[in-house]
Amino acid sequence: MQANPAEAAPVIGRSAPAPSDTRGKHWISAEVKRLEQESRFLEEELQQLEKTEKLSAGLQEFLLKVESVPDPLLPETTGPANTSWDRWFEGPQDTQGCRCLIL
Amino acid sequence: MSFSELKDRHVAATAMVNTLRDRLNQKRQQLLDTDVAGYAKSQGRTAVNFSSTDLVCCRTLQGHTGKVYSLDWTPEKNRIVSASQDGRLIIWNALTSQKTHAIKLPCAWVMTCSFAPNGYSVACGGLDSECSIFNLNSQVDRDGNLPVSRVLTGHKGYVSSCEFVRDQDTRLITGSGDQTCVLWDVTTGQRISVFGGEFPSGHTSDVLSISINSSNSNMFVSGSCDATARLWDTRIASRAIRTYHGHHGDVNTVKFFPDGQRFGTGSDDGTCRLFDMRTGHQLQVYSQQQANNDQDVPIVTSIAFSISGRLLFAGYSNGDCYVWDTLLAEIWAFGGHRKVI
Repeated sequence: MQANPAEAAPVIGRSAPAPSDTRGKHWISAEVKRLEQESRFLEEELQQLEKTEKLSAGLQEFLLKVESVPDPLLPETTGPANTSWDRWFEGPQDTQGCRCLIL
Repeated sequence: MSFSELKDRHVAATAMVNTLRDRLNQKRQQLLDTDVAGYAKSQGRTAVNFSSTDLVCCRTLQGHTGKVYSLDWTPEKNRIVSASQDGRLIIWNALTSQKTHAIKLPCAWVMTCSFAPNGYSVACGGLDSECSIFNLNSQVDRDGNLPVSRVLTGHKGYVSSCEFVRDQDTRLITGSGDQTCVLWDVTTGQRISVFGGEFPSGHTSDVLSISINSSNSNMFVSGSCDATARLWDTRIASRAIRTYHGHHGDVNTVKFFPDGQRFGTGSDDGTCRLFDMRTGHQLQVYSQQQANNDQDVPIVTSIAFSISGRLLFAGYSNGDCYVWDTLLAEIWAFGGHRKVI
């Protein structure tokens, strides 16, 4: 946005704007646009929130879903047993493992 | 418009944004009628009951000589890539603990790594502000080093996190200290989209972590030093889909829940949180807050969910690793690491 030469002309009681005022104007103008855009986003979000259900509404489905997935890290989990898990819990075939250090 | 009129408009716009944020917070609080643990207890659920023989360490992968900052599994869950500030990526056969590759990095200050879905490439990034791609099948050079097959340049800050898009070997998403996330075409090295930056609704501070939705790879979430997490659609770079507030400090780590409908976060404020992706609700806070508030609460540095999502593993800055029952918000500690995870 170019500075309006008429606005840059000295006004009685006020000195001409310094170069830093012009840079400040560009920055403030961009900031205003950003803030106004953000306001629009926030208003949209408020409208969406008016139609959003309470937190508790989805929790029954959430609990049942989590509990229905077999999980090998749980002490007890829903079946059937998955034999491919056993290879991890049997321990490495080479008990020494590979312990070389990378220098 | 005169400078003073612009300043007045700036004051008014700032006030409007603050008012709207307050209204949003209030409306959201009204909708938070319970949390996951409160509801689960009301339904008669009890916490997972670990004994001392559960969750024992079955593999220790030794070889790095510096801090391990990041690791990633192949989709088949049989190999791991780890990144360390000893200046190496190591590829491990996770079942046998054997190392298959030890890749010397052009920049030792690596912060993140990722395995490509096809298992043939790995990516890493760090303080050099670049993301380097290595093809594991390449011929080594005469010094015995695997050459870099592609460098993704363009970030104006460190690369804190990277992840290949799961069903597309050619696409990668990065998060950066320059406050943006970027979707890359790895074959050309070009940026496809930039998320944040000069557009509004982007992060206002460093991006520390990203996580791609395993159920819908068009969606990813980012965590930032601005204390928020943001949800992005890779097809819409111009704005974040949603911003998730709640944390009181840097969001160091974000991870999608296995069902792809929620995600977890870990923060400098010492808590982990679970958010609903679609509604934006903060479903649960996982906090070790001590009764004596003079004690420093260790920060959360990394998180991961078990395959069902019932368990949330969290690493803390004091070297502790805890596992949370995500439904009942109860916690177990187990040792192993001697320093920060």
